Amino acid sequence: MTTVIETHGLTKTYGAVRALDGLSLNIPRGGVYGVLGPNGAGKSTLFRILLGLIRPTEGEARVLDGAVGDVRATRRMGSMIETPRFPPFMTARQVLVWLSVAHGSRDDAHIDRWLDRVGLKEAADRKVRGFSVGMLQRLGVAAALMTRPELVILDEPTSGMDPMGIQEMRALIRSLADDDGVTVVLASHQLAEVQRICDRVAILDRGRLAAEGKVSELTAASERLRLSLSPMAPALDLLGPRGTIEGEAILAAIPRAEGPGLIRDLVGRGVAIDEARWVGADLETVFMTQTQQSEAGQ
Amino acid sequence: MMLTDAIRAEGYRLLKNRTTVFWSVVFLPVMSLVLSTLGVLAARLNEKQLAEANINLNMPGGALDLGQTLLAVAADVANPAVLLFVLIGAATVYAGDYRWETWRLTSARNSRPALLLAKVVNVALLALAAIAVLVLSKVIGDAIKGVIMGRSLSFSLGDDAGRMLAVGGLGWARIVQFTLIGLLTAVVSRSLLAALFVPLVVGVAQAAAPMILAGMGVTPGGWVSMLVSPAQAFDLLKSDLAGEIVPLVALTPAVTSFVLWLILPLAGALAWFSRQDLSKE
Repeated sequence: MTTVIETHGLTKTYGAVRALDGLSLNIPRGGVYGVLGPNGAGKSTLFRILLGLIRPTEGEARVLDGAVGDVRATRRMGSMIETPRFPPFMTARQVLVWLSVAHGSRDDAHIDRWLDRVGLKEAADRKVRGFSVGMLQRLGVAAALMTRPELVILDEPTSGMDPMGIQEMRALIRSLADDDGVTVVLASHQLAEVQRICDRVAILDRGRLAAEGKVSELTAASERLRLSLSPMAPALDLLGPRGTIEGEAILAAIPRAEGPGLIRDLVGRGVAIDEARWVGADLETVFMTQTQQSEAGQ
Repeated sequence: MMLTDAIRAEGYRLLKNRTTVFWSVVFLPVMSLVLSTLGVLAARLNEKQLAEANINLNMPGGALDLGQTLLAVAADVANPAVLLFVLIGAATVYAGDYRWETWRLTSARNSRPALLLAKVVNVALLALAAIAVLVLSKVIGDAIKGVIMGRSLSFSLGDDAGRMLAVGGLGWARIVQFTLIGLLTAVVSRSLLAALFVPLVVGVAQAAAPMILAGMGVTPGGWVSMLVSPAQAFDLLKSDLAGEIVPLVALTPAVTSFVLWLILPLAGALAWFSRQDLSKE
């Protein structure tokens, strides 16, 4: 597995605050990778280090096989950190021309295509001082993508967008990874969105890695078998600490492979099962579990 | 290559910032042209009354030599008004990326030294444009004056043309040197207002320094006095280039001071910027 980002023992302190605390993380090439975490988990600090905006206090990081801050590597990246800002006297088109020239491009033909792709074709010649947050976000995405980067880092890419815009952005990010072969690394607080578009995620908490893996693997680990049955007592005896009561049902924290055996045992003990289904396979549950575990471990 | 890209990008953005270009390049020449034309026009309309009042307008007859006007203006380009108006543009160029929070957009696309040097090159070009427009406006102003006063126009550069253009070049370097204080201030303070006002305060202090130091017993024109005041060094070098007799012993500290005030603010800004946290702007 080739990687686009590698960090080893990455630490960043601001006075007494440790924004990143010995973070070691490998992000593979290809697909969409989500970086999750509560506020202050270190996501933005990680992105800023990767983009060479700030220096780590300790540890090292490599991006696209180059040291962080090496402009030969950052030129092969696109990024959008928080809501982007632009010189207010420029139009959307002029902003893209300006950044394209700074990047060394001699060809402006791609600019109209990108304005169209992010839904700013009509507003291309309007000054950005009148843009809404969502429009600035769209322009930021176009600025990040127009130089055909190998790696794109997006911090809250759908923040401030309307539902239609969010849907378009989601489709754009997925198509970048699937059709253009771009590796997309994004941070978002919208876990349902992350689950829908990301292939792998890392969950950060207090600057440390709390969990990492494929979304399907992480969510599978949090699945529960929800059993509507009667009587409950034999099931609770059989499951022990792995069984919890939820309303009129029991949630069994067992791997999928053990499901059929459990149902057979219960039926054998004379338990009548009305319904059995797998629930809770969402990233939100994983996120809450991991961050709470991390908190309990403090 | 990267520096060229950075210069082109900075230049493109500067040209789109019409307000800045107006105040730095257009305002002063246009105002001076309008005021001088109005003055000449008023004098012409009230010629009779002025003559009756024995007011001499000091307008001898003969042809108005526009070439000499051009050289005279070129030799005096680093005057306080030009310094002030070019500084407005320079402060915007140097502190703009902090104000608009755009360093994060450009610093991933080009190297930090190239981005900063591109700003200096563009401010130098802005100063050159300001000088060119000013010279042009003075020449146009004199031509209008000639027409209003009914005088013929001529154009001759004379034998001193090269010398006066060298003085003009030195004046351009002095403007760039003065704005570099704004660069260092912008990088350290991240503030547009500081980039505008600190050079003004420093400039006034530099102009006053030789007099204050002389009061403290420091030899005027000596090393200390000259190193503290690049304005004094500029005046001395300007006199030398203009053909005035300047003692050789004073030239070395003047050249040293002038060059140091060009290099040190730039080197300081580059060193500070290369390690600066660009995530907080």
